[in-house]
Amino acid sequence: MSLQTDPEGSERKYLHKFADFAGRRVLEIGCGEGRLTWQYAKVTDLTIAIDLDANALRVASIDRPSDLNNKVLFSQAESEYLPFRKETFDMAVMAWSF
Amino acid sequence: MVHALREIRRVLVPDGILIDLRPILDQWPIEVASARGIQETGRVQDFPIGVVDDEAANHSIALAAENGWFVREQEEFFPFYYSWDAPSEMEEWKETEWHDFIGLNEETKRATRSAWALGDADAQVRVRLKMLITRWRKV
Repeated sequence: MSLQTDPEGSERKYLHKFADFAGRRVLEIGCGEGRLTWQYAKVTDLTIAIDLDANALRVASIDRPSDLNNKVLFSQAESEYLPFRKETFDMAVMAWSF
Repeated sequence: MVHALREIRRVLVPDGILIDLRPILDQWPIEVASARGIQETGRVQDFPIGVVDDEAANHSIALAAENGWFVREQEEFFPFYYSWDAPSEMEEWKETEWHDFIGLNEETKRATRSAWALGDADAQVRVRLKMLITRWRKV
């Protein structure tokens, strides 16, 4: 199938218009295969991306560029029970996850 | 979802930022697009369950704001395209990925196939989603 999503890059443009990710600790909720993650994670200090779908997380981990191995972590977790201490993140992104 | 928002608030630092990015059902237009121009051929039909999901999400975030957990700082809508080389691919995607929350009537399918068949060689079929992005600040 020849599917293209957001060929004009609107999502990336608006994401960066609304938030400055540079040097931030970011939690992404509902990351899926990491499509959105790759649009901002490079400039963050740390990105932890969660999803319930183990298969999607496996794809995301495989697709992770090697220079982001220490910067982007994927974890299977529920948004209702986040396995993190309070005040861990500067920013949270709910990505298509409602 | 309210519980998730409470959890997100817990793990954010004081003045932390929450970005809410999601599609909103709005009878998304279907278009045949080529270098020569764009032709709208119809719209998808919103199923009640999808509309209910959107309303539930809106209600949850509104409740979080009412509770004083977050304050809205910035909000905009923008278009997000799903694009295919042929109408059959768009129809297949709708049947496999979007069948729970949108429909596509026969008239729109026919109009899209016809416009694509009569279009230029570079003609693509696309659905224009309505995206909502909101920046919230933890209070």
